[in-house]
Amino acid sequence: MSSEKLDLIETILRSKKIEEYEIFLIKKAIVETMFLKNNIENEREIEYFEYFIRTLTQKEDRTGIGVIKGNSLDPSQIEKNVDTSVLLSKINSSFKYSFPTDAKISPLKTADPKILNDALAIKKDLAEVLITEASQQKDVSTTFGRFRIHNNNSFLRNSNGLNLEAKKTYFFIEFALKAQANGKLSEFWDVGYYKEKEHLNLKKRVSDWARKAKDTLKAEIPKSASDAIVIFPPSVLKEAFTSVIGTHAIAKTYVEKLSRFNIGDKVASDTISLIDDGLLNGGLNSNSWDSEGNPHQTTDVIKNGIFQNRLYDQIYAIKENVESTGNARRAENGTVVNGLSNFEILPGDISFKEMISNIKEGYYIEQFSWLHPEAISGNFGAEIRNGYYIKNGEFKNPIKLGNVSGNVLEMVKNCEYVSKEREFTGDTLFPYMAFKNLNVSS
Amino acid sequence: MSSKSYEEIFSDFEEITNHFDRNDQYFDILYDSISSTNIVKTPSSEDFSINVKKSGIVARTFLGPWKEVAINENSDINVIKKRIPKLVKKGDAIAEFEAWKINKEIIPKIDPLTVPIDEKIKKVRNIFNYIKNSDDRIINVQIKYLELLIERIFVNNEGCRLRQVIPRARVFIIPIAREGSVVDYDYFAKSGEMGFEIFDLIDNDLLDNTIKNSLEMLNAKQPPSGRKTIILDPQMAGLIAHESFGHGLEADQVLRERSYLKQHLNQQVASEISSIYDTPSLDKQLGSYLFDDEGIRAGKNVLVENGILKNFIYDRRSASELKAKPQGNGRRESFAHPINPRMTNTYFGSGDYELNEMISEIKDGVMLEHGYFGMEDPLGGGMQCTSKKAYLIENGEKTKILKATALSGDVLNLLMNIDGISKDILKLDGGTCGKGTEDYVPVTSGGSYLRAKNALISPG
Repeated sequence: MSSEKLDLIETILRSKKIEEYEIFLIKKAIVETMFLKNNIENEREIEYFEYFIRTLTQKEDRTGIGVIKGNSLDPSQIEKNVDTSVLLSKINSSFKYSFPTDAKISPLKTADPKILNDALAIKKDLAEVLITEASQQKDVSTTFGRFRIHNNNSFLRNSNGLNLEAKKTYFFIEFALKAQANGKLSEFWDVGYYKEKEHLNLKKRVSDWARKAKDTLKAEIPKSASDAIVIFPPSVLKEAFTSVIGTHAIAKTYVEKLSRFNIGDKVASDTISLIDDGLLNGGLNSNSWDSEGNPHQTTDVIKNGIFQNRLYDQIYAIKENVESTGNARRAENGTVVNGLSNFEILPGDISFKEMISNIKEGYYIEQFSWLHPEAISGNFGAEIRNGYYIKNGEFKNPIKLGNVSGNVLEMVKNCEYVSKEREFTGDTLFPYMAFKNLNVSS
Repeated sequence: MSSKSYEEIFSDFEEITNHFDRNDQYFDILYDSISSTNIVKTPSSEDFSINVKKSGIVARTFLGPWKEVAINENSDINVIKKRIPKLVKKGDAIAEFEAWKINKEIIPKIDPLTVPIDEKIKKVRNIFNYIKNSDDRIINVQIKYLELLIERIFVNNEGCRLRQVIPRARVFIIPIAREGSVVDYDYFAKSGEMGFEIFDLIDNDLLDNTIKNSLEMLNAKQPPSGRKTIILDPQMAGLIAHESFGHGLEADQVLRERSYLKQHLNQQVASEISSIYDTPSLDKQLGSYLFDDEGIRAGKNVLVENGILKNFIYDRRSASELKAKPQGNGRRESFAHPINPRMTNTYFGSGDYELNEMISEIKDGVMLEHGYFGMEDPLGGGMQCTSKKAYLIENGEKTKILKATALSGDVLNLLMNIDGISKDILKLDGGTCGKGTEDYVPVTSGGSYLRAKNALISPG
């Protein structure tokens, strides 16, 4: 069915004698259960597709790129879409660019066959496990939740003979558990995407949420410190690394003279080795090809604290006369942008428990309200939502409110510990990490 | 693009709606289409894309929980009949609201459809070049232009037959400056229910000011940490009204028993000089419309009046359960996203102070300007709102510029400590708001200048 849609669009492109074109079509099927307390609030089924057409107009030393997004299969409308894309490409002036050619791309399994077969049944079963586990937790109650399964089928064709297909399945959970005692309220509110069913680990996950919600009930405002040692879990590190380190690692930032990273520079502590891995088993963005059809690969970004490689999509690779590293991402508007695939930080040699026991005085921040570092400068300041004060090698008391501030680019140079344990959070596989010289205010 | 006219869509929707008797069940169906033009220019890239009327349909019924099905507009509409169950005598499960009809297209001053694409791109390039060539310290310029045309058609089995077509536009300008090793920026953003006339609001004086603001950031110092008397500019006031306060008033949080404000209805939550509103019916704002995505007419919600909490923000279901009158706050990001009670244009009412008067009375304080981002905490009532910049106030005068500054602590404490609101006219700034981390809808927030004592600030 989808190949018929692609054939229809491609036939029109060819009939108009468009020499350089690309069609990206994505079909999405989503099933979701939303909860209100322990009851189902909404059962949703969503199915739709959309396509993006890119056409190129070659100029002397530049290339014009036109992009159209739509979902009409009316041939006359597709013709208009193609004409508009061509018009855009005539006006546009980008760096020299051509579509990737038919490179060797090895298949990668990114979809769960059971979900492909019956997503509704699997969603029903897992949603039931989730709400049953939540309702069995003592001294906490569910306020709301969402559990969703995504099933995407993507197709990419271009005028250089590329003809690719990928299926991907993944999960989304948003859930909040509330604890209440003596007129005080607290909650643990978690949100995340998970690639594999094994990553959900619902029984343990729900029990952890309940513990954190109850602990936060006893939370105190942290005491201020100007040179604090702070431990962050993988989910917090994701926000810091993907936005700041990711921005400084991509080629576009370098070409625009905004990157602080030069190849061979010491940009982080020796303990940090960071990889961009588009083939990572269990990574949310894993696929055998990137958004313009170049093969995904594994690229060392930082090795033992030294910046190794920039991340290139095709346009910046041509500009810098290097090979693409498979780092093209499709933006919501259909344009292709230079971005990350999955980030992985290699494990350290100390357990999370040992890490805590080594700290005389410090903080563990389970969750911020919103860690939103400024990508170019790396500056951040965020309110603590759930955390613990560490004294003499153990969690002394939960903490809440107060603010942790610092600079991600400086913070990564002050890494004290990297844990052996690592966890998937969407498109990252990160350990727990401890950093010194951060500011805690309250 | 839909091959069907809106009359044909109405006709199809009425046929399918007649299949579900209101005495037996509530049923509604929404057509959602969006067309957009997106131009992004940076020093190394020009990204142009046009979205040609991407459209879809979502239909739902209320069984106790909702059951909803969303499909492409060009799919077989009979899928809805097959997947939405028919019920018997469940009509009372949710309250009935106003049955009404409207069919209105909001016409912008300059319809973007009448402007050739190359003229739009020329505008963006001209702004880019003007800023790029303004000062050697400007090392990077980023310009984003977005125009949208949104059409929504709604029919339900209570007799609603509604259509609205709304144009929206947005321009975002970031000049990035460098001096030595310091790189920083400020930005300008303008948005609203408007068309290509948005560019008439951007002249060289405005660009010069935007450049000056970015260059000024090169001298910004780290803000202090601790409790201070603060002044919030209208953007920061809006962030508090929206992120820290408004999200706790969304009535789904009340049903979930997840709102710290549930216990405070009809009680004092802010100083007596404070009033806060949410008004989807405001004229020409980014968060404005004629009806929400559940067919409720856009109204005006008085949330706080003279410090007293008066109302929550309702969608159809929460209004039904809490026996309240909804004001049109049931919103979807698109046909593929769920309904939630959402804010629209949320703002503080103005006061009777002059800004200079407010500053002159502060011996040691900070003025937070240019609201940057914030996060909700509907259960805890915590606050995290960050300004792009701030200024020290020393002995009644605005002095040194400071970097991004975070405002945190307990939101009700902050609201109770408001002791001055300026008499400036309402200023609203547009953006998008997520419910948690997704389901983004266009909103505005603002007010005038606020002064509050004993507020917790730190580097942001």
